[in-house]
Amino acid sequence: MDYLYDGTFEGALSGVYVMFYDRKPEEDQRLLEQQFYQADCLIPSKVVETDAVRAEKVARSIIKHFGVRGFRLVTTAYLAENKEYGTHLFRFLKHAYRIGEGAVDCLSDDAVLTLYKHYNSVTREVHRFLGFVRFSELENGVLYAQCEPTYNLLSLMVPHFTERLGNQTWVIHDTKRRMAAFFDQNTVEIKPLESVDGIRLSEWETSYRSLWQGYYDSAAIETRKSDKRQRQMMPKKYWKFLIENPQNQPNVYK
Amino acid sequence: MTTLEKLQILTDAAKYDVSCSSSGSERKAQKGGMGNAALPGICHSFTQDGRCISLLKILFTNQCIYDCAYCINRRSNDAVKRTAFTPEEVVDLVLQFYRRNYIEGLFLSSGIIRDVNYTMEQLIEVAKTLRERERFGGYIHIKGIPGSDPKLIERAGLYVDRMSINVELPTTRSLRLLAPDKKRIDMIEPMKLIREKKASYSADAGRFKHAPEFLPAGQTTQLIVGATDEADYSIIKLSEAFYGRMAMKRVYYSSYVPVGNFLAPIGAGGPMGMLREHRLYQADWLLRFYDFRADEILTPESPNLDMAIDPKTQWALRNRSFFPMEINRVSFKMLLRIPGIGNVTARRIMAARRFGPLDFDMLKKMGVVMKRAKYFILCKGKPYPGIVSFDAEHLRQRLIDAPKASQLSIFDLYSGGIQGGERNGLSL
Repeated sequence: MDYLYDGTFEGALSGVYVMFYDRKPEEDQRLLEQQFYQADCLIPSKVVETDAVRAEKVARSIIKHFGVRGFRLVTTAYLAENKEYGTHLFRFLKHAYRIGEGAVDCLSDDAVLTLYKHYNSVTREVHRFLGFVRFSELENGVLYAQCEPTYNLLSLMVPHFTERLGNQTWVIHDTKRRMAAFFDQNTVEIKPLESVDGIRLSEWETSYRSLWQGYYDSAAIETRKSDKRQRQMMPKKYWKFLIENPQNQPNVYK
Repeated sequence: MTTLEKLQILTDAAKYDVSCSSSGSERKAQKGGMGNAALPGICHSFTQDGRCISLLKILFTNQCIYDCAYCINRRSNDAVKRTAFTPEEVVDLVLQFYRRNYIEGLFLSSGIIRDVNYTMEQLIEVAKTLRERERFGGYIHIKGIPGSDPKLIERAGLYVDRMSINVELPTTRSLRLLAPDKKRIDMIEPMKLIREKKASYSADAGRFKHAPEFLPAGQTTQLIVGATDEADYSIIKLSEAFYGRMAMKRVYYSSYVPVGNFLAPIGAGGPMGMLREHRLYQADWLLRFYDFRADEILTPESPNLDMAIDPKTQWALRNRSFFPMEINRVSFKMLLRIPGIGNVTARRIMAARRFGPLDFDMLKKMGVVMKRAKYFILCKGKPYPGIVSFDAEHLRQRLIDAPKASQLSIFDLYSGGIQGGERNGLSL
């Protein structure tokens, strides 16, 4: 049986709720996103309504059995936006309830390991973006950063910057997902934002950019050049919105 | 001279200092101020040589009254342009770079101007302005100037997260030879002072609610390798003493890049120098995270690291009696001794073992590097498929790094390239 949900996290939890009650053999159950679903005439399918009450029941049960760590594992893995997330989540929970308390550490179990890998990819990229995000000062003093991360990191990056840049007004804009986090030195709001054309930079912005570029270029030791190492540590897909120029190749700022 | 030109000169002059780590401090943002420190450290970019840029690493000035033979800023070097920042220029650069998320903070070092105390005061002035006037909470690392007044060292420690006093060369003899203006005792004394002050301030922190914090990220040091003829054994022994007796957080090794006015030993700064530096970092890792003693890594009889094989595998080959180890039974400490198993994997194995015995497939999925480990382990009493002999000589041949890998592509462990966060970020 294929269960179809709306792609939201609550939807996935609602799906899991229904699947546990249906008690079909685990191998035959899949939980997939409705909008990408390609019907197969041999496999029956069923649309699951997103239900906040049911979703909360599942969430509470996860926290009760596997702690905040367990809940963090499933929410963070969701942000990896993997097409198979629903099925992975269902299988993880099936196995985890069987294994019992501490199941999140049982990496020898395939279902646990699968979700854990998604979790890992997301947290690793969050850590990288805390470093690679670049703000530009706009005419009105607001700091604006554009980024296009592989995973949906916005909500995970926000706490770091509210603490660190707590006395600044800033916007972090994920132009791949057309979402942005707005911070007014007090509260954060994450809401849709289309790409912004023709942003007007502050008077000083270009001079600080060139100071940074000058710093970046001077910091390298010529005799130890290694493109390979550089790309290992900072893959090319992250270069687009850097102010500096890792290999003197044009980025959006040159 | 424009700020840009100054920045270029004083960055160029500071870049041979290895450390760029921003880890070890959890400083919170001040009320109404900007900046905090992230415990695992954060890399903001990587230079073309693949090193992490975390801090704005600059000299306050590259003018210097000293004449150290290995140093590009030595008094007698006419080839470099000299300049100096004002404290305000540095403060502005730090704040403006930090707001834009270019950096984690500042790493400030300096040539010696007028005298050591005056130089130290300049560095303190910058740190003080950032903390008190600007209420800046980001990471600050400054150099302790050897020979400066202990009171200055203590004052600096209350403003900054980390301080480092470079030991420069492995032995007093080498120091006398290459850096005649510097004295060993001027380096060791402030290190001791820092260790004692840090201990007494943290005791206070336990007793009083608002006791000031002293160097939350501790102290580090750096030494140049390959400019003089010391063996690896004496270097590792020195590091062990620093970690133990001085409570050092890191010892950095810098393969000598010939910028000096003396005849550098053959191969200095070349690929072999880089490889040696890499092996020293591997040995250093064994001291810090793998519970090895220096005398287990090397001995006076065989005082140099094998360039063809990493030090942990070298140890395993010399101590065949411990192997093969049964993965499902040995202690955490012993797991760490197996080539191909690191701290993260060992923790995963310990956690997963509680749910039942592990087999080779599971180990692979959990991140064990079988290429090395397979020669040293058993799972449920059985060797890895295809392994017939655990004989040391036979193994050595198989475990030698391919020549290409040993030259340029193996710097994963090297000098803060990966910061704590990325390394340990795998645990929930």
